[in-house]
Amino acid sequence: MTSVTNTLPSGDARIPAASVGGDVPDYFALLKPRVMALVIFTALVGMVVSHGHVQPIVGFISLLMIAIGAGASGCLNMWWDADIDAVMTRTAKRPIPDGRIRPDEALAFGLVLSVGSVLVLGLAANWLAAGLLAFTIVFYAVIYSMWLKRTTAQNIVIGGAAGALPPVIGQAVVTGSVGIESLVLFAIIFIWTPPHFWALALVKAGEYARAGIPMMPNTAGPESTRRQIVAYTLLLAPLGLAPVALGFGGLIYAVVALLGGLAMVAFSIQVLRHREGEAEKRAAMGMFGFSILYLFALFSALLAEQSFGLFRAVIA
Amino acid sequence: MNGAPDRARIEGGERPEPPRYPALTPDEERRRRKRSIAIALALGAMVVLFFVLTIAKLGPQVLNRPL
Repeated sequence: MTSVTNTLPSGDARIPAASVGGDVPDYFALLKPRVMALVIFTALVGMVVSHGHVQPIVGFISLLMIAIGAGASGCLNMWWDADIDAVMTRTAKRPIPDGRIRPDEALAFGLVLSVGSVLVLGLAANWLAAGLLAFTIVFYAVIYSMWLKRTTAQNIVIGGAAGALPPVIGQAVVTGSVGIESLVLFAIIFIWTPPHFWALALVKAGEYARAGIPMMPNTAGPESTRRQIVAYTLLLAPLGLAPVALGFGGLIYAVVALLGGLAMVAFSIQVLRHREGEAEKRAAMGMFGFSILYLFALFSALLAEQSFGLFRAVIA
Repeated sequence: MNGAPDRARIEGGERPEPPRYPALTPDEERRRRKRSIAIALALGAMVVLFFVLTIAKLGPQVLNRPL
């Protein structure tokens, strides 16, 4: 287990001092808008697969709060990780390392949005959903960002739970409880996360090493990482079909999950086969890119089946 | 720290000098103005959100009552 000492962003010489406050888009960038979009999407699917009814305005406000809560946790993550963001090309242009927003401003922004989103979700929907959102924020900002990310190669395996929780929150909004449907969606995102991020980590291993983040390729080596990518993908492909077996995934979903799962396994085998040079990079980035498409397709199929009357049961 | 001299001046009837802030550049002034507008809009949106949420939770019948 590798341990990396964190230096608080405000005390890191690599982060330039910000001037008098950032521009409005800089604050929006702190919320990781692309992650927010994914969270809205997966939480919405968690809502529609639930057997229940929610007042549309309450549902909309709840989704908004889940998105803001996710954005707030992203903001707190950027505050904490500003020192390592500054040394990675992928993240160096983020508002804090680029000197556009001061770390203390980002911290205050993230904390206010965290508390606000949880309270409003509790008032709008129910306190189970609010509690789950609070847990997600704390898990991502504290457990993952402050602890796991810099100490263990299992960082994104365990930390993936935070990204997998939005469908569970969505179901809690609609039903006031947590059911098997959202837990299966949680499991799919949870198992999907390691091969997705490790594919990227294979390509960016040098940057992660420079930043001192113990990603799997840096600690266990690329060979072990490739084998683990295949193992997780072999687990993911049949798990993707679980909604069909449980009756809330229909024929369209079954086809998407089957073909997508097979393609994921094929991409992971390409990652295992190509170990050097440009071919290695192409295989890893192919796996990374397709994994996004795969998850998007699975959730889109569920959404389409439940929302547009396209559901045709596969198992009677 | 200049707390003690300030207190002494106040007790002696002198007003402490107001803090001096560096002058903002035009770009900083523009950014501050945009931030202020964004905060105002966010506060307005929150008022609307709480009103709509209250009506949605209570139901439309809350407005239908004898005067």
